[in-house]
Amino acid sequence: MRALKILSLTMILAAAMTPLSVRAEAKYALKEMTPGVSAALDARRARFDNLADLKAKGMVGEDNQGYAKALVSAPEVEVVVAEENNDRRVLYTTIAAQNNLAGEMGTIEKVFAEVQRDKAKPGEMVQEDNGQWVAK
Amino acid sequence: MRFKRIIFLFGMLAAGLWATSGCTVKAVGDPNRPITINAHVTVDIRGLKDTATDIEDYVSGAKPKESLPIDQGGK
Repeated sequence: MRALKILSLTMILAAAMTPLSVRAEAKYALKEMTPGVSAALDARRARFDNLADLKAKGMVGEDNQGYAKALVSAPEVEVVVAEENNDRRVLYTTIAAQNNLAGEMGTIEKVFAEVQRDKAKPGEMVQEDNGQWVAK
Repeated sequence: MRFKRIIFLFGMLAAGLWATSGCTVKAVGDPNRPITINAHVTVDIRGLKDTATDIEDYVSGAKPKESLPIDQGGK
């Protein structure tokens, strides 16, 4: 009877542990570095310092959908933001397409938004999940 | 008394098995109404966040291109 209890508990524990180990290995990657993705990444990297400068001045913020947003009405700022967002959209759609997440664009965008909020420097404008804009 | 109870319960069990043994359930699909299965994809948020972090680290210049989350077969 005691042996049966120990065996039952062991089987339950083994069954409970199995899904955890499987979930820990899951990760989404770029299965193929297409020319479009490579160009988008290179463009974003080249634009990064300029964008960071605009963010430091409060002219650009990070919204809660994973995209940059112009906080001032200035054509030169809006052009930079539009180009940045186009490149980000290329990355998001590629991740979705290459990882069978075609219906999860919203989730991908929100995760990137969270990463942008985490990486934002003090004083930079970020939009929280409730839609409110705050200075980090 | 206890023995009678055991006999009674066994008898009820046997009767139940006998009653259901003759029952069969047959499901027949309608060929004119195809079955639609809506599969829900479970997204590994932590894995996705790792990917997003690796990409943003490269974009910011904090990490080299080798740190990008590219599969082994990626070019």
